[in-house]
Amino acid sequence: MTYLQKPKLHHPQLPTNGLGFTHRDYEGAISTLCAGCGHDSISSAIIQACFELSLPPHRIAKLSGIGCSSKTPTYFLGQAHGFNSVHGRMPSVLTGANVANRELIYLGVSGDGDSASIGLGQFAHSIRRGVNMVYIVENNGVYGLTKGQFSATSDLGSKSKKGAVNTDSPIDLVSMALQLGASFVGRSFSGDKRQLVPLIKAAINHHGAAFIDCISPCIAFNNHAGSTKGFDFVREHNEAVNYMDVMIGREPIVADYAPGTVEVVTQHDGSVLRLRKLVEHYDPSDRLAAINYLQERSASGEIVTGLLYVDPKADDLHDHLNTVARPLNELGTADLVPGAAALDKLNASLR
Amino acid sequence: MPKPITSVNDFVVKFANVNGSGSASANQLFAKSILRMGVPIASRNIFPSNIQGLPTWFEVRVSGANHLGRRGGVDLMVAMNPQTWDADIASIDPGGYLFYDSTKPLPLSKFRDDINIVGLPLTQICNQAYKDARQRQLFKNIIYVGALAWLLGIDLGVIEQLLGEQFKGKDKLIAPNIQALHMGRDYARDHLPQIGLKVEHTDAVGDRIFIDGNSAAGLGAVYGGATVAAWYPITPSTSLAEAFMRYCKRFRHEADGKARYAIIQAEDELASIGMVIGAAWNGARAFTATSGPGISLMQEFIGLAYFAEVPAVLFNVQRGGPSTGMPTRTQQADLVSCAYASHGDTKHVMVFPEDPAECFEMGAQAFDLADRLQTPIFVMLDLDIGMNDWLCRPFAWDDSRQLDRGKVMSAADLESGKQFGRYLDVDGDGIPYRTYPGTHATRGAYFTRGTTKDRFAKYSEDGATYVDNVNRLLLKWETAKRLVPAPVRRDAAKPTNLGVLYYGSTTPAMNEALGTLEAQGVHVDAMRLRGFPFSDEVEDFIARHDRIFVVEQNRDAQMRQLLINECEVDPAKLVRVLHFDGTPVTARYITGAIAGLVNASTAAPLRKVVG
Amino acid sequence: MIAAGRYSDAYMVNWTSNVFPGVLGRTCDRPCEPACRRGRVEKEPVAICRLKRVAADNKDDIRARLPKVPEVRNGKRVALIGAGPASLTVARDLAPHGYEVVLYDADPKAGGMIRSQIPRFRLPESVIDEEVGYILGLGIELRLGQRVDSLKALLAEGYDAVFVGSGAPRGRELELPGRKEAAANIHIGIDWLSSVSFGHVDKIGKRVIVLGGGNTAMDCCRTSRRLGGEDVKVIVRSGFEEMKASPWEKEDAMHEDIPILNYLVPKEFLHTNGRLTGVKFEKVAAQYDAKGRRSLKPTGEPDQVFECDDVLVAVGQENAFPWIERDIGLEFDKWDMPVVDAKTMQSTLPKVFFGGDAAFGPKNIIWAVAHGHDAAVSIDKYCNGQDVSQRPPPMVTLASQKMGIHEWSYDNDISNDARSVVPLRPKEVALKDVRLEVELGFDSKLGYKEAERCLNCDVQTVFTPALCIECDACTDICPEDCITFTANGTEEDLRTRLTAPAPNATQALYVSSALKTERVMVKDEDVCLHCGMCAERCPTGAWDMQKYLLEMTHAGPACRSQ
Repeated sequence: MTYLQKPKLHHPQLPTNGLGFTHRDYEGAISTLCAGCGHDSISSAIIQACFELSLPPHRIAKLSGIGCSSKTPTYFLGQAHGFNSVHGRMPSVLTGANVANRELIYLGVSGDGDSASIGLGQFAHSIRRGVNMVYIVENNGVYGLTKGQFSATSDLGSKSKKGAVNTDSPIDLVSMALQLGASFVGRSFSGDKRQLVPLIKAAINHHGAAFIDCISPCIAFNNHAGSTKGFDFVREHNEAVNYMDVMIGREPIVADYAPGTVEVVTQHDGSVLRLRKLVEHYDPSDRLAAINYLQERSASGEIVTGLLYVDPKADDLHDHLNTVARPLNELGTADLVPGAAALDKLNASLR
Repeated sequence: MPKPITSVNDFVVKFANVNGSGSASANQLFAKSILRMGVPIASRNIFPSNIQGLPTWFEVRVSGANHLGRRGGVDLMVAMNPQTWDADIASIDPGGYLFYDSTKPLPLSKFRDDINIVGLPLTQICNQAYKDARQRQLFKNIIYVGALAWLLGIDLGVIEQLLGEQFKGKDKLIAPNIQALHMGRDYARDHLPQIGLKVEHTDAVGDRIFIDGNSAAGLGAVYGGATVAAWYPITPSTSLAEAFMRYCKRFRHEADGKARYAIIQAEDELASIGMVIGAAWNGARAFTATSGPGISLMQEFIGLAYFAEVPAVLFNVQRGGPSTGMPTRTQQADLVSCAYASHGDTKHVMVFPEDPAECFEMGAQAFDLADRLQTPIFVMLDLDIGMNDWLCRPFAWDDSRQLDRGKVMSAADLESGKQFGRYLDVDGDGIPYRTYPGTHATRGAYFTRGTTKDRFAKYSEDGATYVDNVNRLLLKWETAKRLVPAPVRRDAAKPTNLGVLYYGSTTPAMNEALGTLEAQGVHVDAMRLRGFPFSDEVEDFIARHDRIFVVEQNRDAQMRQLLINECEVDPAKLVRVLHFDGTPVTARYITGAIAGLVNASTAAPLRKVVG
Repeated sequence: MIAAGRYSDAYMVNWTSNVFPGVLGRTCDRPCEPACRRGRVEKEPVAICRLKRVAADNKDDIRARLPKVPEVRNGKRVALIGAGPASLTVARDLAPHGYEVVLYDADPKAGGMIRSQIPRFRLPESVIDEEVGYILGLGIELRLGQRVDSLKALLAEGYDAVFVGSGAPRGRELELPGRKEAAANIHIGIDWLSSVSFGHVDKIGKRVIVLGGGNTAMDCCRTSRRLGGEDVKVIVRSGFEEMKASPWEKEDAMHEDIPILNYLVPKEFLHTNGRLTGVKFEKVAAQYDAKGRRSLKPTGEPDQVFECDDVLVAVGQENAFPWIERDIGLEFDKWDMPVVDAKTMQSTLPKVFFGGDAAFGPKNIIWAVAHGHDAAVSIDKYCNGQDVSQRPPPMVTLASQKMGIHEWSYDNDISNDARSVVPLRPKEVALKDVRLEVELGFDSKLGYKEAERCLNCDVQTVFTPALCIECDACTDICPEDCITFTANGTEEDLRTRLTAPAPNATQALYVSSALKTERVMVKDEDVCLHCGMCAERCPTGAWDMQKYLLEMTHAGPACRSQ
C-alpha cells in the first residue's frame, strides 16, 4: 500500500472528455489495498469507464458492504457520495437509495465473501427485483482481510496458500444472476481492461440489474500455484466469448470486422454495444443457452468471460413500482401530505 | 345464586371463538353497533398464531363513562369454542351471563350455578335455514349477533345500516345478512327474556373515531411525507405496512397513475432496514414496520445508522417474545432492545403513542424527528394499540405545517462557499449538516461509514477523533430530549408524595385506575411518558415524589431500567407494577396492585412495631 | 539537502560545480530551468536558481571545508588573464593540486563583470567578496590593477600555461546622427554600470532612455531609477517577446515603473547647444518571409520623438584582443576571434587556453564557469604531458532507494504547489539606494516548499521484466500515465499505442524485454515524476527506484589517464 497521496500533477496532454474532465478527475483517495491487488485494477477500470462516458462524477452513488472489495469505492470517484455499509448488505442499501432517487447512477461494489456468503440473499433479491444498478463482484475466491480462508466462490479442489484443499462446491454468481433474471450479465478479469472497461460502460448504460463478476487475483493470499483465481491460472483458462465497443450518441459504427463476427445491440438509452464475437455460436440474448454454455465450459475447467447475457429492453424496479418520474427525494409537502380536508373525510368514515 | 348483574351501558362482553370461523366480522359488527348508538366501547382481539382452528377471543368493553382500557372480568360470555369452554365459563363474573349454542346437550357439570345461562340452538336454526356448510358457518355468527341484539336491546336498524355500509358495492350480500340477523333476533325474542345488561342510545361518543393504531400509524407515515417503505411481514405490524399501502393508493397517485411512493416487501428485516437506510441516506423519508424479532435482526444496521447519522423511522409494534405463540399477544417488552439496539455505544430515540390518535401524530412527527436528529426513531406501538380498534379523538392536521427536513445543505448553500463537514457541529446542538448524494459537482460529497471518521468524514482511526465524534453524539442526545414529545402530567386531587409513570397502551386502564384509587382515597400524581430520552420534566417529577410506581406490560420493568440508567435514580424509589401475561393490562389489575402496595407500606411500620 | 535544511552540504555540492552559488543564486541566466522537468508537467520549473541562494544565504561557515593548498607545490605556473568567473574557476580547480596561479586584472578588485557590471542592488558586494575570497584564499598570486598589454610578453615570463578569461569588455557603439554632439549625455551601458559599481558615477538625469533589450539594458534602467531617474524608459527595436533579457528581469524592470517600448528603431540623437534633448525613432513592424525569418519593416507612420536628459546605450558587447599579438602562433578566425576548441578550450597555441566571454563571445556566468572547469582539466592534462582531447567520462553510480514497504531514501512526496514568488523589498525603499539588495530571497520555509517541487531527476525507475506478473498496478497508479503494457513494436509504432501521448521524441521510450504474455512494458520518461508510486504498488519488486549519481570529472589526478 501507499500512504502518500497520488500527486495531482498529471500528464499535460491528457485527453479530456465531453465535460472537460481528464480521467484523473474521476479518481478517489489513494488505495490502501495490497500492492498489485486486482481490485485496484477494477477501480481503475471504473474510473476509465466513467471518464469515457463523460459522466458527471457527483451523479454517481457508490455503495459497498464490508471487505477488501468494499473498501475500493473510496479509491475512485472522489466527487461522488459513497456508502460503506455492513457486511453483505450493500444490495439492500443500494435498493433503498435507488428507490429514493432514480436519477443517479448506482454502482454497487462487493466481493465474493460479501455477496456469495453472508450477502447471498441480498445479492439474489436485488437481482430479481431488477434494481437499476451496476453490481460488480470483485471475485478473488478468498477472504483477504481475515487472511486467506476459502470463500464460497473458491473452486472445488483449489488450494489455499497454506496448502488446504477446498472440498466445498463453489457458488457461481454469474449462473445465479442468470437464473435470477438479471438483464445484463458479464464476467471479466481485472487483468484485462480491454474487455472490462467496455463491459462496465455497457452495464452503466443498461436499464435494469446489471451484474459483473470480475475475477480479481488476491496477490497476498490467492495467487499461488494451485489457486484458480491467480493471474497465471486465469490467463491460461480465460475463454472470452466476445469483446465489445460501447458507442454513445451518434458515433458512427465502423464496420471493420468480417461479417458474422460482429453483433450490434442497442440498449434502452440508445447506447450501442458492438460485440466482436470470439466464440461463433455464442448468443448473448439467449439466457438458457448462456446458462448451458457456462456449465459446459466450467465443467471443462474454463472460465467464460465477456458479455454473457443482455436483455436491452428490460424493465427495472421503478417500472414495477410505477413510481413518478421525479425522484422521490425531491417531493415536498405539497406532493406528499394529503392535508386536513382529506383527513376530515377519513375521520367521517371511521365513526 | 348471586343477583344477576344489571347494568346500562357499562359491562364487558367476551366472545370465545374458533379462529377462521368467520366470527371476527360478526363480532366487530356487534361492537360497532353499540358505538353507533353513542355508547363508547373498547374492543380487543386475543388471537392465536394460526389461520384456522385455534382459540380466539374478542372482548368488548361497553363504557358509557368512557373507560376504554380493559376492566377485567366478564359480564357476558358468548362461548362458541368447546376447546376453551371450561376456562371461559370460569372467567364469568358471578351473576354474569353465559350465552351459548344449546344445540348439543351438555351435562350440568359444564355450567356454573352462580351465573345466568342463556342457551340458543344456533346450529339447529342454521341447519334448518341453510344447506351449504360454508353458509351455515358464516351466518351462524350473524344469527348470534341478532340474538344478542335482542338480549341487550341493541337497535337492529343500526346493525342493518352497518351491514349496508359493509357490503357497499356487493349489495347482493346485504339481504341474506339482514335475513340471518332477523332470524337470530326473532328466535331470541320468541324464546328468551332480555337480560340485565342493556345498551341504550346516548351521545357519549362525540366526534371520536374508531380505528386501530396500525392504520393510524400508516396514515401518519403518509402525512409525515414517507415515500419509501420497506418491510417484511410480521404480526402484529403487517397491517401497518398494509395501511400505508392502502392510504398511499388513496392519496399518492398522479392523474396518470404514477405513484409518489415506493413500497418494497423485502426478503427479510435486514434488507428492510437496509433499504430504509439507503433511501434515507439518499434523501427520501423512509420507514419500516416490524416487531421485536425484526428489531433483533436489524441490530447491525441500526448501529450503522446511529453512527453514520442516517435518519430512519422504525415502527415497532411490540408483542411477546420469540418464535410463535405468545408473539400474537401484546407486551411492552422491547424498550431495552430498542433503546440500546446494536453494538458499540448506541442509544436511540423512542416515542410512545397512547392510542391511534397519537399513532397518527407521532407517526408523522417521527419523520421530522428523524430528519432533524439524523438518527433512527422508534415509534413504540404494541399489539393492543396496533391491531385493536380504539375509540380516540379524530385525526387533525394543520395545513400550514411543512415537512421539517432538518439540516440539509443545498447546492446553493455549497455554491455560496458555506463550509461543509458532514460530522461538524456548526450550531452547537450536536447535529451536523448533511448533503444528499448528487447535490453539487465539486462540493459536499462524502463517504459514509460507521465510526471511523473525522468531522469531515475522512477516514480516521485516531482515538481522540473518535472520542470527539461520539461525544458530539451525546450532545445530540441532549438536544433530542427537547425535541421528543413532552410527558403529560395528571396531578392528583390532593397533594401527594406518590407518583406513577406509565406509557403507551396502558393509558386508558391507568386513567380508570387513577379514578378508582382516588375514590378509595389513594392520591397519586401521574405522568405519562411519551418520549425517550427523558426530558428534564421527567427527572423533576421523580425528584418531587418519594415513591413512584412504574406501570408496564413486561416482566423486567424495562422503562424502570431506562429511568434508573438514564436519570440515575435510586432504584428503591421506583416501584414495579408489571403485567405481562400477553393480554392488555386491566384497570382492576393496576388499581389492585397500587392499592395493595400503598396499603402494605402503611401497614409495614405497624408490623415492625409489633414485631 | 535544502529541504532537509542541510544548507552547508548543499552549498558545497554546488560550490564544487558552479563555484559561485551565492552570486549565481542571484544573477544566473538560469539555462537549467528550462530543462527542469517540472516545467513539463506544469507551467513553471523548480526555482533552482533561488534555491542555490537559499543554500548560500543559510549555510554555516564553510571555510574549513574548502580544499587545502598543498604545502609542496607541483612546480607548474599558470597565468590567468582577467579575474572574472572563468579565470576564478580555473584557479579554484588548479590551486588545490599544487599549481602556482597568477591572476591578472586591470580592475582594482577581482570578480570581473560580476563586480563591474552587475548592479549592487541585485548582488551585494559582500557576496562577491565572500565567494571570490574563497578562491583567492587558495594561495592565488594577485596582480590586480595590472592590465596585460602583450600576450607575447607574458608568455615570455615562462608560464607553463596561460588562460585567457578577459571577457567581452567593450560595449557596442551606436553611431547615429547627433552621437558626437550630445556625447556628454550618451553613455555606453556596461562602462556606465562599471563606473557606478566602482563609485565613479552617482547620479543621472530625471528623464532617461535606455536603448537595447538585453539584461544589461535592464540593469541600466533599474540603476537609473536609483540614481535620480524618474522617467526612465527602455526602448527596443524588436518585439517584447524577442528581447534577449530574461523574462524575470523584464518583469523586475516593469515592476519598478519602467515602461518597455517595442518596435522603435533609434534614428537620431536630438540636441541643442551641445546638450541632448531627446531621441528620434522610426516605427517598425515585424514581418516574416516564407521561411519564417523575421525582418523589421518601417510602418510608414511618423517618427516618434522621446525627450530625455540622458541616454544609456546597451545594444551589445564585443570582444577585443588588441593585446594579443597576431604573430605568436595563435590563430584568429574571420570574425577576429581566437580559434578555440569547444571541448578542450585550447587555442591553436597549445599552452594558451580560453574561457568565458573571451572564448566564444558574450554569454553568461554559468557558461564561463563551465569553460573554466574544462580549461582546468585541459591545463592539468597539458601540464602533465597528456593529450587534452582524451577526457575521462563522468563517474556514474546507481543505488536502490527502497527502505521499507512504502518508504524510500529519497523524498518522493511530490508537492502539488506552484512555483513560489520571491519576496521583494518594498519599492519605495529599494529605489532609494543603489546598493540595497532588492530581492530578499526565499526564507527557509519558502525554500523548503520550493525544494519539495523537485521531481528527483536523479532517481530512476528501473524495471526488471523477469519479476513482473503483469498485474497492471503500476499502470493504474501512475499519475502521469507513463506506463503501458502492449505488444512490442518500433518506437515510432509504440508511441501511437501508449496510455497517454508521448510527443517528445527526444526522450527515448523505456522498453522492456518480452514478458510472460509476450507483451512489453513501455515507459515514457518524458513526464515521469519519479514519485515511486509504480514501485510502491508493484507486488513483486519488478519496479525499483534507483538513485543516479553523476560526478563530473574535475582537474586533478582523476582526469589524467593512468
